[in-house]
Amino acid sequence: MKILFINNDGGGFADHIDVDPQTTVAKLFEQRIDGGKAQDYLIRVNRQPAAADCVLHEGDRISFTPVKIEGAGDR
Amino acid sequence: MLYLRDRGQTEVGGFGIAAGDDLLRIEDVQLVRQTCTSVSVVFDDEAVADFFDRQVDEGRKPEQFGRIWIHTHPGDCPRPSMTDEETFARVFGRADWAVMFIVARGGQTYARLQLNVGPGATLVVPVSVDFERPFEASQMQSWEQEYCANVTALASPRLTERSDELGFVEPDLIDPFEPDAAWTDDAWQAYLNEDLDPLCERLPYEI
Repeated sequence: MKILFINNDGGGFADHIDVDPQTTVAKLFEQRIDGGKAQDYLIRVNRQPAAADCVLHEGDRISFTPVKIEGAGDR
Repeated sequence: MLYLRDRGQTEVGGFGIAAGDDLLRIEDVQLVRQTCTSVSVVFDDEAVADFFDRQVDEGRKPEQFGRIWIHTHPGDCPRPSMTDEETFARVFGRADWAVMFIVARGGQTYARLQLNVGPGATLVVPVSVDFERPFEASQMQSWEQEYCANVTALASPRLTERSDELGFVEPDLIDPFEPDAAWTDDAWQAYLNEDLDPLCERLPYEI
């Protein structure tokens, strides 16, 4: 089945990919974010935060986007 | 970017939107919802995800909108802080390349291109305004709307708050100009009642 996958790692990705039925968010993360830590990403399915065991469905949009982007100037 | 930098008293940050045919040419700067003080800027995680969704819907690739991290610094120093470096490594270190671009309030800039593929490389790149390409006219009204919609300014953290975090005990502070400050009358009276030098009758503070 096809889902839309959005991710900024590597070369960046925002396109449709094929995944196996019953693929979970955790499994896709493991496949696509080699060595990455889940806590470093906001994982959303259809624009809503998703749990690791959330099962993906045909046509879903899943995004792995960075969290805690913060800058600071010297005082 | 300069309008956004100077719009308030806080830092401000966003993503550079690059041209499709030249990824180091920034055509636009987009803010995301953020909380700022005079010395810090923190992006809202949901707003970052919304920004990615929106950019994809507009037909851009992540390399056009998610690789150039821009923020401002107070004062004249655009050099990255430890927090900046930590964010850049953690957030952008897994992308093939990324740029940390800092604009100081004094006008100085710092842009560093980090290449994370192959042997990797770090390059401080020059910054200039490209007047050779066509560009849109000033859009102050929309910039203002964007600023107001995204930037939440907080009061800067006080040193005493930081001291509290560290467990320091703040000494009792007395405002010497308070009328009931205990030392005021006695100290000044004693001072004025001192015997003056008979050879030069002048108040000590005139010496």
